[in-house]
Amino acid sequence: MTLEPRTVVVTGGSRGLGAGIVQSFLDSGDRVATCARSETEAVKQWRDDPQYADRFLFVEVDASDREQCLHFVQRVVEEWSTIDVLVNNAGVARDGVLALVSEEDVDTVIDLNLKGTIYLTRGVVRNMLARGGGSIVNISSIVGQTGYRGLTVYGATKAALDGFTRALARELGSRHITVNGIAPGYLRTEMSHGLEGAQLDQIVRRTPAGRLGDPADVARAVQFLVDPENNWITGQVLVVDGGLTC
Amino acid sequence: MSEVQDKVIKVISLLLERADKTDVDVTLQSQLHGDGLGLDSLESAELSAVLEDEFGTDPFSAGLMPETVAEIVDFYAGADESGVAAAP
Repeated sequence: MTLEPRTVVVTGGSRGLGAGIVQSFLDSGDRVATCARSETEAVKQWRDDPQYADRFLFVEVDASDREQCLHFVQRVVEEWSTIDVLVNNAGVARDGVLALVSEEDVDTVIDLNLKGTIYLTRGVVRNMLARGGGSIVNISSIVGQTGYRGLTVYGATKAALDGFTRALARELGSRHITVNGIAPGYLRTEMSHGLEGAQLDQIVRRTPAGRLGDPADVARAVQFLVDPENNWITGQVLVVDGGLTC
Repeated sequence: MSEVQDKVIKVISLLLERADKTDVDVTLQSQLHGDGLGLDSLESAELSAVLEDEFGTDPFSAGLMPETVAEIVDFYAGADESGVAAAP
């Protein structure tokens, strides 16, 4: 347990990796606000669990919508005044070779993964600037670094997110705000369900750690990067992939 | 000195104090940038954020780029007169 509960915002925390990150911060005694397009069983459980009373907040948000992002940030600030940690996890993938991808899918992926992340971060950064500190972690992907057939647009948004991380770290470093990224490898989450069994088997064979990752593997890395003791680490993208890309 | 004027000057003074710029006097005529208060772009963003915290809105986010302390005060005074201000 941390001594002073922090206010942590995790976007896309209703399932998969995001849910693992939410659980990690609830376990460390922090206040957690998360958003997603719709409520899930995990959200209902957190909300109904007395041990999380007054320190869990869920808001239904389409994170690709600028106004809704702003409203979500305002809602968190109204509830808890400050935001100490932001984890930009919300993201969507649409697979398919570029030559056949629809314009609608291109817009969906860019609007959520990139524009939504930027607008929400802008709102949170204003709060962090006003009170003089904070930590931001952007969840990108190894696909942004290595590329993956059929995930061109998704990979482009994740590579852009890494650039966003570095630029924002330079911009905010003097204000005691750290900005880092985590590029996870392939996890056992809904996000990897689009991959066929043979593809997943191949990924596992090529992974030195010999397994797919769990959300908790990434959540521990997030906790490390937002630990105030580690505030000399900023502008970095940490690959958490069981060694797949080493 | 009006209440708004007093609050704006107090907010700016606290911001300058945080930036270790304690040798600057804040007056209505003070220029925000350059030889005045010498705010850089990030300090302007901080000012925008703390003003929003204090008053619920701020001239920078409203698309204005105030150059003097007086222009910031005028923004809130104008909002007060039109009943638009969202000061907590």
